[in-house]
Parts: sequence; structure tokens; C-alpha cells
Amino acid sequence: MRLKVWGARGSIPAPGPETMRYGGNTSCVEVTLSDNSTLILDAGTGIRHLGMAMKQDRSEAAVAHPVNILLTHLHMDHIQGFMFFPPMFEAGSEIVVWGPASPEASLRDRIARYISAPLAPVEVRELPSRLTFHETDAQEWQIGPARIRAQAVNHRGPTLGYRIEDNGTVLCYIPDHEPGLGAPLASIEDEWISGFDLAHGADLLIHDCQYTDSEYDHHLGWGHSPVSDALEFARRTGPARVLLFHHDPLHSDDFLDRLDTELAERWAQLGGPAGCVSLATERLELELTRDRVQRPAEAAPPPAPPLRSPA
Amino acid sequence: MSAQQRPLELILARNLLSNLSTPGLLVGDGGRLLFYNEAAGAIVGRSFEEVTGFSAEEWTSEFGPLDIDGHPIAYEQIQATKIVRAHMPFHGEFSIKAHGGRREIALTAIPIVAPDDSTAAVVLFWLTDGEPVPAHAAHLSDRLREVDGEAAP
Ligand SMILES: [Zn+2]
Ligand SMILES: [Zn+2]
Repeated sequence: MRLKVWGARGSIPAPGPETMRYGGNTSCVEVTLSDNSTLILDAGTGIRHLGMAMKQDRSEAAVAHPVNILLTHLHMDHIQGFMFFPPMFEAGSEIVVWGPASPEASLRDRIARYISAPLAPVEVRELPSRLTFHETDAQEWQIGPARIRAQAVNHRGPTLGYRIEDNGTVLCYIPDHEPGLGAPLASIEDEWISGFDLAHGADLLIHDCQYTDSEYDHHLGWGHSPVSDALEFARRTGPARVLLFHHDPLHSDDFLDRLDTELAERWAQLGGPAGCVSLATERLELELTRDRVQRPAEAAPPPAPPLRSPA
Repeated sequence: MSAQQRPLELILARNLLSNLSTPGLLVGDGGRLLFYNEAAGAIVGRSFEEVTGFSAEEWTSEFGPLDIDGHPIAYEQIQATKIVRAHMPFHGEFSIKAHGGRREIALTAIPIVAPDDSTAAVVLFWLTDGEPVPAHAAHLSDRLREVDGEAAP
């Protein structure tokens, strides 16, 4: 499994000179499965650049497969790029969208609220691509070579986390998550921790870390994790590597650099191995193999290098 | 990893209860006692940690509710069980065993219905020793008859 981060920002795009390195685009991660097909995690504004890159780079093998998009939920920062994803406008492309069910309306109808007037100049039915929608509650299913598991996690509104297993490697993606709301993560039993089974023993966990601990005091119940809970969740679930994600739009590159240093220190205090936890940066590429996570160009065996590309 | 992870609605229900000063418990689909909070523990005289994993039979024999003769009522026969299984809330009066004695409580049970239709319950209760039975008892009997009628062939 290979992956590339196309957007790691939370809540709202945050472009500008102060966010150049970590990036301003909202949630989107490209996953290339072992059969070369593309799985996309969320359709935040990062998906626009991904779509443009796919247009240029897609191998014949990749074009032969449908593009599967797994949506964690329908908050704007996870669907805003949808309408600017070039394959949506190609008659030959087949796009399969997976997302949480709601008793109120179908997934297609809920997404169509955004892709329709007056918010958009097009309607879902006008899109020339072959577009299908699947609602998924807590369940497992197969997409190509990958076993996908979805589970409801603690956020605001119906929200899924995903566990993706392909060729013996496991990626867990829970970008919006507040597992510590009303629960002491350090002491509560595993079975009572939201998202535990999804993340347990993964090779790579991509997880919410929107707030510092002091910011969290003013955002209790907003659906996102402070640093302490993100690290504690990682300690409890034991993934090999952790990419912290969904950066607050107010956090500049300099701020995030300082946070990255603090994270490493606090992770060490929790007894975690060095180099395992870092902040996601836009365009970061990783390769997940059976026993390590590394950037594709690097061939050195463990101990694996830091996840973050040099700025 | 220990037991399989609980579904989110139960995790949230437990988190809510654990932050309440109102005595409350969480009962799973088959009647297993999934959790009760510190306020409930103070009333019954045992902390939840001591009774973790109690089956329906175990907790009803330990805590009740009790019939008029002071015997525990079987879980399947408790009015609240029947009403909640019909996906309706319940409010009623019971006697329970607490600190080795008999206490009177009022309780409200709220069904927590999962996407797969399994039904747990959040139960909040209050000590009412000596308080008069509230006027909604008659209304409650009507609803019980409805539920029993639906269940009958
Ligand atoms: Zn978000
Ligand atoms: Zn969200």
C-alpha cells in the first residue's frame, strides 16, 4: 500500500504563506492498493490536486479500475473538493462513493445538497462520470485486494473511521475523532474506547489532533482530539506509526513545528519509540510494507526514518 | 485486545452516565449489566468494578427489583424490560436491595436502539422511600397492556 497526503488541514482550507509547509488543503489521502487501483480517503479540497495528478499520471492499469472514495462524514472539510475533482467530469471514469448512512436521507441526496443550486452550478445528475453511492454502517467489505472495515466513531453527526488491510499491511484513518469525550482514555477498558478496534495494531494510524490541550478546554465536545488524547489513543491502540492530522486552521507552520517537537517529547514520556509519531504534511508520501512504513525512496531497514519529509 | 469493542451508541451512553451525579446504569441487549455509575454504586453499596460482567440473572438476584414478598423479579418479567424491548421509554416504581436492606426507587428506562435493531437501555433512578406513587401509574398500566397485547399471538 502506498499513500499520499493531499490535504491535512481541518475545518476550513487555510492557504497562505504561513501554512505553506504543512499545507492548507482539507482532508484527502490517496491510497494506492497492491493492484495499482486508487482508493481516496475523504474529498476535502486536497482532492482537487489529486484529481489533476491522476489525469496526468494514471497508468493504464489504474484507469481500468473504478476510483473508490471513502468518506468519513459529510462535514464540508471532507467533501468540499468533490465538485473540483476532474474525474467527476470525465465520461469514461467510474467513481464509487462510500459514506455513512443517516436515517434522514440517502448519501446521494445529502451530497447533492452541496452539489446543487444555489451552492453549485451543476447537479449530481448532470455529472458525466459513472457515479454510484453506497451507504455503509459498521461492516466489512472488499474493494479490489483491500479488506475495508468501517465503524462509527465519536464525532458530531454520523461519522465513520476506516481500517484498510491490503497484502498484510493495515492503514487506519480516523481524521475527525474525540474518543476522550467524557472518558478517561488512560484508564478505561479497550472495549469502551471509540475507534479502538479500527486502530489496534495498525501499521499506520492517521488520527485527529486538532487542538493543543489548552485549546481543547474551549472546544470540549466539538468532535476533535487534543494532543494528549491523540497520543493516549495511539499508546492504547499500538499502531507502528502515527500521522497526526486535521490541523487547526489557526495553526501556522511555525506553530506546528513547535507542536511537532512537543509531540515527540510527550510521546517519549509515554514510553513510545522515537520517530513513530509526527504531524501530517501535504504531499507527504509513504509506503506501507509488511514490517515498516517508509518514504518510497528510502530502502534502509528499521529503525525507520522519520515520517515527515524535509521542508 | 480484550473483548470486542462496544458499538458507539453504548460507548457514548456509558460516557454520559459516568459523568452524571444522577444514579444510572446501562443494560445490554440480552440484559447484561454493562455499567453503572458511582452515584448508583453509592446507593446499592457496591462499586461497578466489583460486579463487572454481571448477567441479567446475577444482577437481578443481587439488586432486584423485588416483588411484594421481597423476592427478585426475573429479568424477563420486569415491566421495564418488556416496554424497552418494544422501543418505548418506561417510568415506574420498584423496590430494590441496597446495602443489604430494601429501598424504594423510581426509575426511568430509555431504549438505546442500534442500527441492527438490538436494544440496550439507559436506566436512571432515584430513591423515593416513603414518597407517594405518582399519578402516571395508570397511564403506565395502559401502555403495558398495549405491549403485552402486541406480543400475544
Ligand atoms: Zn473535519
Ligand atoms: Zn467533522
